[in-house]
Amino acid sequence: MIGGAFGVALASARTGDEAAFARIFRDIQPALLRYLRVIATDPEDVAGETWVQVVTGLRRFRGGEQDFRAWLFTIARNRAADAGRSRARRPAVPLDMTEAAQLLTTPDAADQALEAVSTQAAMALIKSLPPDQAEIIMLRVVAGLDAGDVAKIVGKSPGAVRVAAHRGLRRLAGQVEQAGVTL
Amino acid sequence: MHGEMPGFFPGRPGGEHDEPLLDMILERRPLPPGAPPEIHGLARMLAAVAGSAEPGDLAGQDAAQAAFTRLTSPQGTSHAALRSARRSLSDRPARGRLPLAALAVVAAGLGSAAAAYVGVLPSPIQHFAHVTFGAPAPSQDAPPITGSLASSHPTPGTSGSARRHSAASSGPAGGKTRSGPPGSPGWKGKGAAPGLASCPATPGQDRGRALGRSQNPVVPSPAPNQARPGAAQGQAASGPGQNTASPGSVPSGWPTMPSPTTACPNGAVPTKGAHASG
Repeated sequence: MIGGAFGVALASARTGDEAAFARIFRDIQPALLRYLRVIATDPEDVAGETWVQVVTGLRRFRGGEQDFRAWLFTIARNRAADAGRSRARRPAVPLDMTEAAQLLTTPDAADQALEAVSTQAAMALIKSLPPDQAEIIMLRVVAGLDAGDVAKIVGKSPGAVRVAAHRGLRRLAGQVEQAGVTL
Repeated sequence: MHGEMPGFFPGRPGGEHDEPLLDMILERRPLPPGAPPEIHGLARMLAAVAGSAEPGDLAGQDAAQAAFTRLTSPQGTSHAALRSARRSLSDRPARGRLPLAALAVVAAGLGSAAAAYVGVLPSPIQHFAHVTFGAPAPSQDAPPITGSLASSHPTPGTSGSARRHSAASSGPAGGKTRSGPPGSPGWKGKGAAPGLASCPATPGQDRGRALGRSQNPVVPSPAPNQARPGAAQGQAASGPGQNTASPGSVPSGWPTMPSPTTACPNGAVPTKGAHASG
């Protein structure tokens, strides 16, 4: 998070300041890519589309850093859904926990991920969650959005977002306990 | 451990007791020291996910910067600039081209097969399709056969070229390929399509009538390879003697080739080296 300097950076970026835009990009892009790696099949492509749309609408945007992040992740989610539809694959973000999604939670995936304490290992664990829980955890923890913003993005009530996040975290903790490894 | 957080794990009663700790993790607040190790492990794991950028996390910055420069320029709001920016931000532009190429190859193959079954391919190719996968024999409308291809297929399968004779003679295209009257040197030389036999002209009857199929009662259409003057010069120069095809050489089992003798209304045996209708 950029913090108090975000407003200045955003105002400069609106006027075409490349350095200001680069600062915003470097601050958000890692979280954006990690979020898209959980929900999209082509995260780099979707991220590129997202930034194009952000740049296009930059002058019209009004709000603070939290609003900006919520706006950007909303765009990213929509672009990921479009990409998923165009590829005629499974929905990028199924709303309900399905049996197939539960099958993704395999001990093998957890064991593999826990062998190395790294971002990739943690990402593998999160991706093993049901998609809605994984997405909400990524938006809350990685994107740094509050429950209200996440609820708007995923189209659920804040209470439902909180419940889903708790379920996902409990499942993750269960995998940690199963593996017998404390990260 | 579990005494402190009796309901931490799913399926255990009292799960709501862990909610404050879970909310702390979600809000990235520091955990109390007395929290279960699993909670601490979970918090560390999520902190790693939300941590600083790793190599590759900033992939696409140059492209994004370029898109930003283009789109914030005065002319950057045009649709063309937007499309250009989107293209440049795609890290894998080649993705999707391979499936498209494969699709094109498959479509071309299917189209060729369909064309073969419809019978609109050039006669050598149509003949090849006929022999290879049972497409219809070359039709009368097929394009002219070239000398080299004709010589490589001196079988009745090339009779499509011969049958084209009547079609050519019935349409305007038939007239434009005539380089001379029947019997003229040019006509004779170019009319010697290999593998094709023709009926001898009867008195008072031109060749076209002798063939019984020609719709042009005055001037027979040229041999198929006459449609491209010069294409069969080699054949013409070699003369009819070079044509090894004869009615007797027609193999059995060629359904589209009528008997040469039946093609002659006077019962004459077709001669070699001349054009014929089939």
